[in-house]
Amino acid sequence: MGKGPPSFRVRVLTLLLTGLMVGGLTRCAGGQGVQQAENSTLTVLAASSLTDAFGELEGAFEAQNPGINVQTSLAGSSELLAQIRQGAPADVFASADEANMDNAAEEGLVMEPETFVRNRPVVIVPPDNPARIEELRDLAGADAQIVLAQDGVPIAQYTKDVLANANSEYGGDFEQRVLDNVVSREANVRASANRVALGEADATFVYHSDVTGYIRDQVQIIEIPENLNLLAAYPIAIVEGSQNSELAQDWIDLVLSDEGQAVLEKHGFIPVS
Amino acid sequence: MKLKREKRGQTGGGEKLASGFALAALALLAGFISLPILSLVIRTVSEQSWRAMASPVALDALLLSARTTAVTMGIIFVVGTPAAFVLARAEFLGKRLINTLVDIPAVLPPSAAGIALLLAFGRMGLLGEHLRVLGIQLSFTTAAVVMAELFVAMHFYVRQAEVGFARINRDVEEAAMVDGASRAKVFSKITIPLAFPALVAGAVTAWARALGEFGGTIIFAGSFRGVTQTMPLAIYGTLETDFDAAVALSVLVLGFSFAIIVAARFFARKAQERAG
Repeated sequence: MGKGPPSFRVRVLTLLLTGLMVGGLTRCAGGQGVQQAENSTLTVLAASSLTDAFGELEGAFEAQNPGINVQTSLAGSSELLAQIRQGAPADVFASADEANMDNAAEEGLVMEPETFVRNRPVVIVPPDNPARIEELRDLAGADAQIVLAQDGVPIAQYTKDVLANANSEYGGDFEQRVLDNVVSREANVRASANRVALGEADATFVYHSDVTGYIRDQVQIIEIPENLNLLAAYPIAIVEGSQNSELAQDWIDLVLSDEGQAVLEKHGFIPVS
Repeated sequence: MKLKREKRGQTGGGEKLASGFALAALALLAGFISLPILSLVIRTVSEQSWRAMASPVALDALLLSARTTAVTMGIIFVVGTPAAFVLARAEFLGKRLINTLVDIPAVLPPSAAGIALLLAFGRMGLLGEHLRVLGIQLSFTTAAVVMAELFVAMHFYVRQAEVGFARINRDVEEAAMVDGASRAKVFSKITIPLAFPALVAGAVTAWARALGEFGGTIIFAGSFRGVTQTMPLAIYGTLETDFDAAVALSVLVLGFSFAIIVAARFFARKAQERAG
């Protein structure tokens, strides 16, 4: 390209337009913050494993509170925490692990969390069980192809803890032998479950509550021995600065009520009461 | 680059307006592309996340991406070049069908391609089931990564190579044949050099597509460090746990792509100078 005035003009234009674009984007972002949360909407941020159970409770809550619209926003617990940090309008936060909720509480983003349900990790295998996995111990077998969720996903941490516990029972290198059988790290727990349901992998770790819907017919559950397993505790809390803190408390009360606990149990969770 | 514009005495106001509009459009395009890239680099510098580039995850992923795309390109050259030649020169029954088939991967979302590959070559797949009996398993292997890359990238090389072959003046080839050159010699000494710029252009596009392959790989091949976790998968995986590391990986792959494109352009120009 020549060094004449045109290229200078191009450069000036680039700068100008870049400035315009940045300005425009900032203004868009600002606009969103101004938007007020409507008082008739209760926004519940919930871990994606709660999809089915909270979906059912949503209907019950709306029937009990006419004119109120419940909006459930489902994502991974760490992603939900990030949304709260960025000031997303929210009234209730329900996490799949204590770590994310503890962080939220420490940063003053939520009020007094309490455990509302528990979930237990299980191993699933395809119906024809090609690697012949009958119990946790068999995961260290030579031909087993195992998939796990990737690091950062709560189930990945629970899996590591279970395997570490099992070392004492099945020999010191048990954990390593299982990890040597891992062929893929999946983005989330549902993706791991799908690998097994499709018969691509021989086994994975999921929550008991994940074995629902079409997955239920495509897999076999192998329970982890109780003395080696650990229960995942799900905490719930009102988000600091909620415009509807009374309604938010009503939601938490519903989740903790006999009715709410029954719905959660129906979807594979372990009630706290 | 040289502007090929004939000099005219006076340029009218309308033409000035049009060229101003064209310049503004170009500037908008340049700004739209450079702003995100600039943001990547600025973030890397300000957070000093350079160290993440030297992490084992990053190096394994970069090495795997380099290896798999190299194998992919090798296969594409060997299979795609004669295929493109036939498509450019021959008329045969079913050519339209073949042409449509070649185009499908270019319009198919890669995630759909991944599911298709899984259903064909996965452990329970149409062909995979039989391969399994023979003791061959493709899913979760590096071979599956190459297959996903081949599937999405092949089209871009074949199409551009085909155009390159079609443009060659056949008189030159025929003259060489009359002079006693064999068919193979004409192909390697005349046809290939004449089509070379098109082949390089096609190769660069195909390589870029293979390097960026994500959906097909994560669905068909899975994600495991050093085996199937290519750069795009490593970036996605790191995003969950360490955002700054993901940014650093993005800058790393940006630099890698830039180096390859510059090198390809350089060799193409050299080859053209030699030929011309």
